[in-house]
Amino acid sequence: MSSPSSDPTNDPAYLTEEQKKAGIVLRDHVYDGIREYDQRLPNWWLFTLYIFVVWFVVFWFAYYQLGMFKTDEEEMDIAIAAIQYKKDKQLNALLADLDEEAIWEMSRDPAAVSAGQTHFNQFCSVCHATDLSATLNGTPLPGVPLDDSQWKYCRKPTDVFNIITKGSPDVTKGMVAWDAILGPKKIAETTAFILSHHEPDSPWEPAPDSPENLEAATPPPPGPTP
Amino acid sequence: MTPTTRVPKQNPNLISLGSIGDDGSKLILHPSDVRGPFTNWRRLSAVLLVAVYVALPWIPINGFPAVFFDLDERRFHFFGLTFVPADFWIAFFLLSGLGFALFFVTALLGRIWCGWACPYTVFLEHIYRRIERFIDGDAPARRKLDAAPWTSSKTLKRIAKHSLYLIVSATLAHIFLSYFVSLPRLWEMMHGSPTQNATSFGVVLFFTGALYFSFAWFREQFCVILCPYGRIQSALTDDNTVIIGYDEHRGEPRGKATDPNAGDCIACYKCVHVCPTGIDIRNGLQLECVGCAACIDACDEVMTKLERPKGLIRYDSMRGLDGKSTRWIRPRILLYTALAFLGAGAFAFSLSTVHDVSISVLRMRGMPYYVTDDAVRNQFQIRLTTKRNVDTTFALHLEDAPKTSFSVGLDEPITVQPQQETLHPFTITIPKEDYIGPFDVTLVSTSQPGGTTLNTTVHFQGPDPRLFETPIATP
Repeated sequence: MSSPSSDPTNDPAYLTEEQKKAGIVLRDHVYDGIREYDQRLPNWWLFTLYIFVVWFVVFWFAYYQLGMFKTDEEEMDIAIAAIQYKKDKQLNALLADLDEEAIWEMSRDPAAVSAGQTHFNQFCSVCHATDLSATLNGTPLPGVPLDDSQWKYCRKPTDVFNIITKGSPDVTKGMVAWDAILGPKKIAETTAFILSHHEPDSPWEPAPDSPENLEAATPPPPGPTP
Repeated sequence: MTPTTRVPKQNPNLISLGSIGDDGSKLILHPSDVRGPFTNWRRLSAVLLVAVYVALPWIPINGFPAVFFDLDERRFHFFGLTFVPADFWIAFFLLSGLGFALFFVTALLGRIWCGWACPYTVFLEHIYRRIERFIDGDAPARRKLDAAPWTSSKTLKRIAKHSLYLIVSATLAHIFLSYFVSLPRLWEMMHGSPTQNATSFGVVLFFTGALYFSFAWFREQFCVILCPYGRIQSALTDDNTVIIGYDEHRGEPRGKATDPNAGDCIACYKCVHVCPTGIDIRNGLQLECVGCAACIDACDEVMTKLERPKGLIRYDSMRGLDGKSTRWIRPRILLYTALAFLGAGAFAFSLSTVHDVSISVLRMRGMPYYVTDDAVRNQFQIRLTTKRNVDTTFALHLEDAPKTSFSVGLDEPITVQPQQETLHPFTITIPKEDYIGPFDVTLVSTSQPGGTTLNTTVHFQGPDPRLFETPIATP
């Protein structure tokens, strides 16, 4: 394409006679006065290209045509579903047998009560006190007392289980849902520990601040009086 | 079509790779034996480095191997310090500090890392090539054996050599795995069936294969073509960087030792024959040079025999080789030093923030604060983690809290099982009449054993105190 006189290969600055004799070749293409040697890529380098071409075909065929393998996303969904299934199974197995009778029975089982006491002291005693009185050295704590015969929301053992699991119906009071931290087994043990302070035949009296008593009473005047 | 060459080039040039033939095939280089002080020092440093690599998993410090990336427990034990994934940010400063330190060393001394300390070079030059030398003999013998027909003696030698390569590769791969699973576990897995520990077995198999491929066949191609550190050399070095170079002024013109008009180079090609990457150092600084100093020893030996001064090929800068003086202090060096110190300083500081225990305080789920008839209350959850391998007891108390405020849940010391963490709730309550707005308190935790004291700021959240001053009108 270019005349021999303007061919840069003839320019002594490009190739020495010795290099020409050694078979070194320059390619015709010139860009910004730069030219390339005409040399082979190392074969192993070229093979990596071929290997990945083959790999692509195998991959494409196995994943997208035959669906032999699952994508990461699918595998993660399956793993999460498996965990959820296990959790549900555990909960359902526990709940299937968990009625008022079973909780009372558990509350007489020293092993369950002792385990429940550990959970109670770690997580619940901050508001309800280790002796369930909800007072510490005479100072009232945020929680409701659990050692008397008065109950704010609970009317039966499974109510206690549900309140620990889901938290207080009144979110402004501070009793949060504990299912994420404790799980159903530990919650059942904690319930057993609380009920070990009660007798199956003791009455469940509504506390003065329980919903039905509050409804009956006249609402107090709003705000503090100056 | 240029003729195919399978034998390394007699005269390596600057235009084509000495280890790649005209047809793109990989040429098998057979570096000659070399003797000399640099070779001895390199052997010594290689033995030490391999010893460190092999020994680290065997040295127990604080009940764990000196370096142990515990993948199962997600803990990293490093010379008695234990890191959890939450400490991973420190790796940024470690790597940036090391990276800049490498920049600094490179600007000062070129590819000294490659020739002396890189695991690839250490394994290749001081283990695999020694095996080859032991089985196949010196360079001419190896070339002869390569060209020889497949006799029973050649077959035996090849089997012996490659078996040894594989044994060494498998050993190195097992040691590598022990950094991640610890030696007792490795020993246990080695006694079990491969299917029981399919992942670990796969890792060892892969590394054995990779090491065998790299050191039995691929060899210098990695340093010359693949290694990214090798590729950024030209950006890091300059005319004052100390490299391995040939003193052209002294050496040229090349000629016979007896020729009075010739320079000191007698064109014996010893420097070319010993080069593990197949270059001619007399062509100047080249990207293939890994700075192994074999050519220095080879040339010095010849110069000593000829009773000429050593150092025709030597460690020197391009300016030094040109007869000028090397400038040691230059902007590049100052910048890299400053950056290396910055990285090292940040790393040292971040290390000082890592303790044997960690504590974090989170607001409990639910509302940010609770207002009762006479008080404002915040509920918190403490997460206590111990990295110690014994029971750790935490004593907690609050400081800088308003006088009338009180907390529940911090009175009893909390014991955490070895290497475990626990959650623990606590509340802070302040009477309404003393509440003048949100405030900060300090949770002080002292753990035993170790006596680590950590302060955590806890923010007490509450409503605008003016809400308590005037009654709120009801609709």
